[in-house]
Amino acid sequence: MAEAEQQQQPLVSPQSEGRTEGGEEAPEGGAAAGAAEPAPPPAGSPGTEEPAGDTKKKIDILLKAVGDTPIMKTKKWAVERTRTIQGLVDFIKKFLKLMASEQLFIYVNQSFAPSPDQEVGTLYECFGSDGKLVLHYCKTQAWG
Amino acid sequence: MAGEEDFFLEEKRFKQHCEEFIKHSQKIGDGWEWRISKDLGDGYLSKTYFQVRNRNITPDLKEKDSGDVEQTLFSHVEESLEDSQVPGVCATEEVIRYEYHVLYSSSYQVPVLYFRACCLDGRPLTLDEIWKSVHACYQARLLERPWDTITQQEHPLLGQPFFVLHPCQTNEFMSSILTSSQKDNRHTNYIVLWLSTVGPVVGLNLPLSYA
Repeated sequence: MAEAEQQQQPLVSPQSEGRTEGGEEAPEGGAAAGAAEPAPPPAGSPGTEEPAGDTKKKIDILLKAVGDTPIMKTKKWAVERTRTIQGLVDFIKKFLKLMASEQLFIYVNQSFAPSPDQEVGTLYECFGSDGKLVLHYCKTQAWG
Repeated sequence: MAGEEDFFLEEKRFKQHCEEFIKHSQKIGDGWEWRISKDLGDGYLSKTYFQVRNRNITPDLKEKDSGDVEQTLFSHVEESLEDSQVPGVCATEEVIRYEYHVLYSSSYQVPVLYFRACCLDGRPLTLDEIWKSVHACYQARLLERPWDTITQQEHPLLGQPFFVLHPCQTNEFMSSILTSSQKDNRHTNYIVLWLSTVGPVVGLNLPLSYA
């Protein structure tokens, strides 16, 4: 998979094999925010345009694919607490190169789809464990 | 469809999950209730609530204004706002009455979401207004194939026109999630999972506590 080389997506860390673990080490403390994404460029935080010098705390999110949904090569991400579900959806869709009109849904606890404006920070507080928030994502038609 | 039978929602299970759902709704004062159609004996979930809607805020009072919702969603409404003589159009700051019903469809063997909205003076919102008020993140899909998404139909029990969120994909996407959650041995309330997924499309958000 040579995608990492060919696509230089500015907002996203390339799918470099050795660096997939980069997200895991993202500290929650945020103090070392600059070093939080050691190898990948600032885009360790999905959709954030600002470089990692941002003082907002980030939380660790582990993304799991459901059903036939393509699996993201990088599953662990450090995300700003104020990022909304919608923002995360947009990011994943870009990452997976889905069309805007394709539907992607995110689930917490595999039992509930948070509303698009829900902030991941809140979800982390309610459902996070072991220092991370596990979210399942599913590409599917929900209607029609 | 081998192996997916488990996820078809039998009517009995539908009722059980609705009951669970209502219990939680009562606990948190979310306003859902179970109604029974006297003629037909069928029951369904129902919720009615009121919202102030104006140009500058999102249709959902419960959500923070994250700025993600395009203000252009309301540009259509803006034009008509001054012309309150146009039937079916609400004035700038109007209270909208939303009504949501969850019925069981025996043909699809899934729940179906019916809804309608009207101004306080009884003027119903048009399908166009409904479409325009769909959350920004669903707009692209909606605009591509609107008639596959939300249509207007006669309510099976009340016989009145309601908008309906088309259910033919419900079993498929529910099965994907349920397959995965069953592996982890979780109990999942079908209604919560389903409604939290499809509800936001039509302005219905479930509080996080349902999870």
